[in-house]
Amino acid sequence: MTLSAFAQAVVDGVLTGGVYALMAAGLTLIFGVMDIINIAQGIMVILGAYLSYELSAHVGIGLLPGLLLTVPAMFVLGVAIEFGFMRRLRDQDRTQMSILVTYAVAIVIEGIVTAVAGVDYVQLQASYVNSSIHMLGFYLPDIYLIGFGLAVALMAGLYFMLYRTKFGHAVRASLQNRTAADLIGIDVSRVRTISVGIGVAVTAVGGMVFGATNAFNPNTGYDLISRLLAIVILGGMGSIGGAMGAAIFLLVINDVVAVWWSPTWAPLVYFAALVVVLSVRPRGLFGRAAVRAQ
Amino acid sequence: MSEPGSGAPGAGMHAIPAQPPPARRAPVLGAIGVTLAVFAAFPVLFTDPTTTSIAFFTLIFMISATAWNIFSGYSGYLALGHAVFFGSGAYAVAMSAKSWHVAGGWPVFALLPFGGLIAGAIAIPVGLVALRTRRHTFVVVTIAIFFIFQLAATNFGFTGGTSGMLFPIAPFSAANYNQPFYYVALALLVATTFVSWSVRRSRFGLQLLAIRDDEDRALGLGVKTRRVKLGAFVLSAVPVGMAGGLYFYFVGQVFPQFAFDPLFDLALALMAFLGGLGTVAGPLLGALVLESLQQYLTQTFSSDAIYLIAYGVLFLAVILILPRGVVPSIATLVRRRHAARSHPAGTMPEPRLRETAA
Amino acid sequence: MSPLIEVAGVSKAYGGVNALSDCDLEVHEGQVNGLIGPNGSGKTTLFNVITGYERIRHGKVSLQGADITNTTPDRVFGLGIGRTFQLTRLFMRLSVLENMLVATQRHEGWLRSIVRRAGSAQEKRRALELLDFVGITRLAHEPAGNLSYGQRKLLELASLLVADPAILLLDEPAGGVNPTLIKHLADRIRELNRSGKTIVVVEHNMEFVMSLCSRITVLSQGRALVSGTPAEVRSDPAVLDAYLGGEDDPSTQRQLASVAPGSAPAATVGTPPAASPRFPRPSPSEPRDDALLRLRNVTAGYGGGDILKDVTLDVPRGSITCVVGPNGAGKSTLMATISGLLRPRLGDIRFGHEVISGRTPKRILASGIAHIPQAHSLFPDMTVRQNVEMGAYTISDRALVRRRLAAVEELYPIVRDRAHVKAGSLSGGQQRLIEFARCLMLDPELILLDEPSMGLDPLTRGFVFEMVQQMNARGKTILLVEQNARAGLKLSSHGVVLENGIVRLTGSGAEVLAHPEIGALYLGGAVATAG
Repeated sequence: MTLSAFAQAVVDGVLTGGVYALMAAGLTLIFGVMDIINIAQGIMVILGAYLSYELSAHVGIGLLPGLLLTVPAMFVLGVAIEFGFMRRLRDQDRTQMSILVTYAVAIVIEGIVTAVAGVDYVQLQASYVNSSIHMLGFYLPDIYLIGFGLAVALMAGLYFMLYRTKFGHAVRASLQNRTAADLIGIDVSRVRTISVGIGVAVTAVGGMVFGATNAFNPNTGYDLISRLLAIVILGGMGSIGGAMGAAIFLLVINDVVAVWWSPTWAPLVYFAALVVVLSVRPRGLFGRAAVRAQ
Repeated sequence: MSEPGSGAPGAGMHAIPAQPPPARRAPVLGAIGVTLAVFAAFPVLFTDPTTTSIAFFTLIFMISATAWNIFSGYSGYLALGHAVFFGSGAYAVAMSAKSWHVAGGWPVFALLPFGGLIAGAIAIPVGLVALRTRRHTFVVVTIAIFFIFQLAATNFGFTGGTSGMLFPIAPFSAANYNQPFYYVALALLVATTFVSWSVRRSRFGLQLLAIRDDEDRALGLGVKTRRVKLGAFVLSAVPVGMAGGLYFYFVGQVFPQFAFDPLFDLALALMAFLGGLGTVAGPLLGALVLESLQQYLTQTFSSDAIYLIAYGVLFLAVILILPRGVVPSIATLVRRRHAARSHPAGTMPEPRLRETAA
Repeated sequence: MSPLIEVAGVSKAYGGVNALSDCDLEVHEGQVNGLIGPNGSGKTTLFNVITGYERIRHGKVSLQGADITNTTPDRVFGLGIGRTFQLTRLFMRLSVLENMLVATQRHEGWLRSIVRRAGSAQEKRRALELLDFVGITRLAHEPAGNLSYGQRKLLELASLLVADPAILLLDEPAGGVNPTLIKHLADRIRELNRSGKTIVVVEHNMEFVMSLCSRITVLSQGRALVSGTPAEVRSDPAVLDAYLGGEDDPSTQRQLASVAPGSAPAATVGTPPAASPRFPRPSPSEPRDDALLRLRNVTAGYGGGDILKDVTLDVPRGSITCVVGPNGAGKSTLMATISGLLRPRLGDIRFGHEVISGRTPKRILASGIAHIPQAHSLFPDMTVRQNVEMGAYTISDRALVRRRLAAVEELYPIVRDRAHVKAGSLSGGQQRLIEFARCLMLDPELILLDEPSMGLDPLTRGFVFEMVQQMNARGKTILLVEQNARAGLKLSSHGVVLENGIVRLTGSGAEVLAHPEIGALYLGGAVATAG
């Protein structure tokens, strides 16, 4: 492997890592506020991709303008799922039960998508999907740049929302100390519902970029969720910054391995990294010890 | 119920048998006998190959769900990676048949324990890593490990890649092709159920149930929790590996995408949940109902999509409406009825030892 | 005679708060050893350290001279040390008999354990004998989750005995148990002791401890204060001080005197507020007739049980009303019921002229009642400024928020000085100030203050009390719950004594403090004569 191929792989990894970071940020946000692991996050990304596909291929709305419709649609879906299922889970065994429930939700969505769109692989098309620019010796596909740009913008937006707005403070407050949040007048259950909505809404953007860079069918959701879970665990569940770091770390390794060894083995790196890290640090790379009083 | 000691501290002095009341032992044995007879007679009574193959698939899932329950049901740790053992068992049998030039037919059945052994051996390192983590991380780690195996089976040379591996051809006549498979599966089911029942009433099983209810306190009572969990994990992998070998021998070929199917794990969990997690009969009943229903659905709706939707909706309904499962719910109901009949107002009956798992 | 268990120099801290600091303990063979001390003095933590549930970096635990520091809980049990938990822990979905059988398999490989049936006939007989010993045999086949609270305590004890441990560590065996059963328990413990078992009891019920134990160690602030016979401990003034607050000790008195406003040590609580002419030291406030908060026949509790029983109580406008009472009296439940975290089952609560019982916490907050719960109510990963601003979450007028923030910053300069520091990194006393600041953002009429002195050293505690008086001087009515009864009542205009969820006594702070039964309430009936 030449040095330039290596550098190109690193750049590709960072660019795609940004998009994965966005999708994983939604997953980790939902875990943080709800203690729920949303297995349906993967199929929701695919659903977002299909929505973009239907809009661009059949309605004539481009991928980027289409986001104005798909993001709110996914937000509503998230709110509906929180309302319909997540808040019904009892506190005991909540996280474990949530995995089963959201897995079932994922199957239902997969069924609906399959019924409507079939199982053939599709890929999103637009003028900027196949073009690229050549800069500093790197080939940078436009869609990667757009995706990375969108991801960075949305992550920055998410960060701003969480750390600079009143609602964001309420989210973090409910996450850190539920009783105290109740006592200062925060409507914790509404905060949770909206957070889940936001966590799901980001999949619309993730789906658009993913669908433009990969061929997908309803089954792709499983591959995706397994990668997202690896990222979230490695980053420490509930930590958005950790998810970002872990996503870029894994995707860079993935792309380097793909170039240096073989693309078929690259995904193995994800899980191998996860297993190695967990055997050394069961809490993940960036995870903190749960503070538990007797 | 009055506080003990509130009247006389010696109030509990009257003798109580060490055994729970032995009532209804004979009917239970009778019911088991009848069920076994029905299962044994089934392929004789219904010879249609479509029917017997559905029956065979149902047995495979009854074995797997029962085995899954030995770990996940009793310990309360949800494992969503048992397809690893199902697939590994299948590959182990296929590979050993190939490299040892085993002839088709009964000799391949003799290789099934080897498939189980390999599955058990794989479970040791998998369990060592996965069981280091807390409960909800454990679930995710088992999923991740599952994907590693799926990828490996697809990409390794010796597994035959995406085209999979062929089993030796079974020399059974077309008309009676299903019967040998059915009876081997039935024997395996009886064995697995016996193991599950033995574990449930053993000290080991009690330790697992104690871990489910309060792992920290179990540790404080001297239970070697890590060792017990790993033991159960390995024990539950073995029958799944054997079932995998049998299933794919029946199909004739093993492909990575079927051998390592994420829906398999979910199916086991759903079956156990529907029937009753942590009971012996629950997973059997759940698998019997669900797998035959599933086969029926696939045959009725040719569309995968509708099948998926129906499956998902059913799953949601079970978890949200019957989170404890059918068997414990019925047990509670029966106990209440019984209590209302034989214990007028206020007193409680003495439920039997094994019905307390919920 | 060398001690059976020896704990030497053990320290354990959680997030900056010391649960144990250089703690020593000796457990003597064949005795019933008592371990007492006020709330938060480290008793349960000490049990956790001995039994391996908490790992320590400083100190040593030994059993018969052999080092067992940081041994895992299963091994500790194997060495013959069994323990119960403060909040009873059972295997709730297993039957009583099955609960009894979990601890029987001490010397067995797991392969053998798969084959062997849980409980041989002999083991079951033994289990039933022990159930009989505690008196719950007839429940043998009942799921443990169906047992009443007292029965659970008995089962938890019995389930240890199956393995025949030589040493029993019992964490509040009599907590929340009715008097008849307490006597029953004490008899059982005595009998176990006669049969040769060494016992350590952590308990708040003084009568129980004094009558049962041959040797008592008093913990205070994570350290062993006194050790001796019940009589010695009872007559030691330091012990009563540990419970009621040590103002009679001249050295403490001096320390407290030195924390008048303006002179509090900066090291402990950041920059103290300057003595401001606008906030003079309050003169003892005149109790006025009109009650701001009225509780009438309020009954409330968690799950099935009632913790508050028919509580009728008035909080006069402008007062500091202090609720005292032993552990488990229902003080925190009272607070939660007023602030709406818990709905009263019966009775009504009026605030001014409004009935507030049954409202959500948010609406009760809006009507002017702020609740500062016991310790750890900040958002640890948010900055000081953000925490304080969160207090005004329900206010949408930004200008008002800014004005309130400015006022609070002037009152507590630490809010400005440490604005961008994470709240979780502050010391205990500083965190209390931030909690006060946060609650003042809404300018509430009534502040429910639950144990503001918990986990604080005497110096900081005095300072925090000054701050409470300061808030009162600014016109806030305060309902205070305080473990440190003397100090709490001293600064209060009104006092309420709560015991077992029942109001025992009300009056002015001084009256309640002077009442002869107060000591008895904490240290058991005998103390009135002994002291």
